[in-house]
Order: sequence, then C-alpha cells, then structure tokens
Amino acid sequence: MRKTLPVDDLARDERFVRVPFQARMSDPRQAGSGANRAAGRLTPDRPEAPDAARALMHGIFVGEIQALEGAGRTCWDFDTGAGRDQAPFELKLDMARQCWDEARHCEISVKLSDWMGTEIGEFSENTFLYEAACNPDPVLRLTGVNRALEGLAIDVFTTMREFGQVAGDPVLEYCEDWMLADEVTHVKMGSDWLRRLTATDPERQKQALEFQQVVDKLFSVGGFRGDDEESPVRLARRFRELAGFSVDEIDEIAEVSRQALEEAKAARARLAARTA
Amino acid sequence: MGSVTVTPASFTMVLFDADRIRELATRLQAELGMGDTDVEVVVDEATPLTRAHVASADPAQVVIESGAIEDPKRPRQLSDERAVDVIGRLLLRVRDRRERGFADAPPDGELTPAEAAAWTAYAEGRLERLGHPAQQQRWRYHFRNRHGFTDAADAAFDRLWAADTLTWAELSALSAEAAAAAVPSRAAPVG
Repeated sequence: MRKTLPVDDLARDERFVRVPFQARMSDPRQAGSGANRAAGRLTPDRPEAPDAARALMHGIFVGEIQALEGAGRTCWDFDTGAGRDQAPFELKLDMARQCWDEARHCEISVKLSDWMGTEIGEFSENTFLYEAACNPDPVLRLTGVNRALEGLAIDVFTTMREFGQVAGDPVLEYCEDWMLADEVTHVKMGSDWLRRLTATDPERQKQALEFQQVVDKLFSVGGFRGDDEESPVRLARRFRELAGFSVDEIDEIAEVSRQALEEAKAARARLAARTA
Repeated sequence: MGSVTVTPASFTMVLFDADRIRELATRLQAELGMGDTDVEVVVDEATPLTRAHVASADPAQVVIESGAIEDPKRPRQLSDERAVDVIGRLLLRVRDRRERGFADAPPDGELTPAEAAAWTAYAEGRLERLGHPAQQQRWRYHFRNRHGFTDAADAAFDRLWAADTLTWAELSALSAEAAAAAVPSRAAPVG
C-alpha cells in the first residue's frame, strides 16, 4: 500500500463536493457590507444562528472524517522507530486511539446532522485538515493537526456547547461536551509528542511551531476565532491549558486572531472607500 | 399578468443569472396564484449572508441576501432549489399579508424571531405540498431554537406545517403557546 495518500485520492461518494480554501478566501463578498453584521459571538438569538450552526457543525463533521484519515495515515506512512522520518511505536498507539475517537465523532456528527436537519454533504468540504496531515515530518503533522486544528475544534466545541445550553438544546450540548473531552486529549497528545520528539532538536521544534502558526493564522481569518467579543468563536483558554498550551502560546494565538480581525476591518474600510 | 423583475439586472460579485432568477420567480408567481401581482426580487450581492425579507406586500418586493440562494457546495453559484425555496416562502408571506386575516401582522422588520420561525414553518409546509423539496427537520430545528426543545414546540410546529389557511392571530397564538412551554436556558460555564 502506498505511503502518504494525496488529498485528491480520498474516498468520498457523490454527496461530497470539495471547495479549495482559496475559493472561499477570494470571495469578494467577504469584505462586503454584510461582514460587519456577521461579526460577534454566534448565539441562538441571532436571526441566522440555526443555519450558521448547521453549516459550522457540517464543517466539523467533514473535519472528523479527515482527522480519522490523517491519524490512520500517520500510523501507516512512517516506519516505526526513533529517526526523524520515523514514528515511535507509542506515537502510533496514540494515533490508533485517536482513530477510534474520530470514528466515534463521525457517528456522533451524523446523528447530530439528522437532529439539526442537515443532509450529509449539504455543504462543501474543505480538505485543509487532511492536507496538514500529509506533512512528511510526523511532528509537523501533530502540530498542524493536533495542536492547531484540534485546538480550533476545542474552541468551536466550547462555543457550540454553550450555544446548545443557551438554546436549551440538550442533544447539541451533550454531543459537543463528549467530543470536547476527546479533543482536549488529542491536543495534549500533540503537545506531548512535540516536546518529546524535539527535546534535543530546537530547529525541528521551531519549524513545527512555525507550521502550527501558519495553520492557526489561516483559521483566524477575519477574526473568526479569538478573544474579542467580535469573534464568532471564542478561544477556550482553560481547555487549551489542560491540553498543554502555555499561557504565552494562547496569548500568541489571540494576537494572531486580533491581527486577522484588524486586517479584515481594514479591507472592508478600503472596499467601502472605493465604493463611495 | 403581473410583471416579475430582478434587481440587479446583472451581477458582479456572484455568478448569478438574473434571467434564471426571474424565470424561477415567474413560475412561483403562477403556481401560488399571484399572476395579477407585480413582483420585484432584490438580491443583495455584496454579502454572503442569508437573510431574506418582504420589504413590501403591495407592490410585492422581496429582498434576499446572496448567501440565501447560493449553492452551499459551490460558492457564488446560484442554487435553483434554494432560490425556489426562499422566493416561494417570501411570496407566500406576501400573499398572506394581502389577505384579510393577516392585516394586523407586524412588518417583517418587527417580527420576533419566534414569529418569523412560525411563519416560515407555515410557508414551508405549503411549499412542500406544492411538490417542492422541503427540509422539514431543518425548519423544525429553527422552530425549536426559537420556541424551546419541547413536545409542545414540536406539536405547534406540526400544526403550522400541516396548515393551509391560518390567520395571523392563529399563527401567532401557536407560536406564543409553544414559547410559553419552553424550559428556561441554563447559564453556560466559561470554557
């Protein structure tokens, strides 16, 4: 069986349609008149909240599929060992356990989709998570996927658990709570393995953290996730600490997000000025 | 026969075809027995958001943000199915407003989220019976978000979905009764 399956070869049925990240980011409407209104915490009292929650949870669902695929590939793609292009047996065990969790999250997500009135494949799929899981260095896979993207999942699940509590939706609340518990474990795995595998290799650690920062910035676009009231998804500081993030690291993510929010505001102001 | 116009006549930020939107709206105009009504569909293409409302019942003017009729799998492309769903729902609301039983309904901008969700359920059920695809569970989820996740809310939703000739008083009473049965939400802990 081949090593490192390219993203285009992922198995999907006809219900799924992939849209590249670039296509979303290059949408001229992102800087348009509605963007200011889209800002702010995602709460049930917002008119568009139910559909926004459905779209967000579908995005999480396809992310769970890719996380399962990525963790499975990490078990297979590397020979077992302590070399830089290898993965220790214990890391593979962690990835196998993560596959079990992600498969359960897929099942939870399917049932949650039914509950929220979402059809599988109703929204497009962005394959960025799996692409981050194709890095040839296992440590960069763990920082890109486990620390950055599953860290984002911690923030999203915390926000959506709260959404369920406020809306009085017990199904959403408990689904988020159970998945959140696993995500904290997955991020902690990423934090632990980052430190163990780069303990004597500061250059590799630097590369891994830079890769994580790139991924974090991509998913902070427009201030989607951050400490600000304007961010739809709030940084879940306490859970991130439990998952092995230092306060400085969390502050850094908040700063990256704040910059992304300011950049988006400036872009909107430029567009408004041109329109006027 | 009343006219159907689409504003803008051509799009620059999305890949929508105004003629196609007009064609779909014209079909709905006939299907809903509104052939004598002039209809204007205004699309706000500057936002990817999804709100849609009736700006005026006479003349009929509906305003739709581009995200509401966009294909959720193909950014910036029109979805015929979503366009029919949104325009059909709004035209039914226009038709309701033009009937005596809805004379005391507040303007769209003054509807509470619960009233808007109830009216949506009433419209979507009728569209389904006309043969259009309907995501009943999606609209039930909307309704529950506004009225509580209770058996009373589900029963009210079922009645709205199955109804063909409600008045505003009946619709708003169903919404109010469902909301009254909602369990107060609990304060959320900080994550």
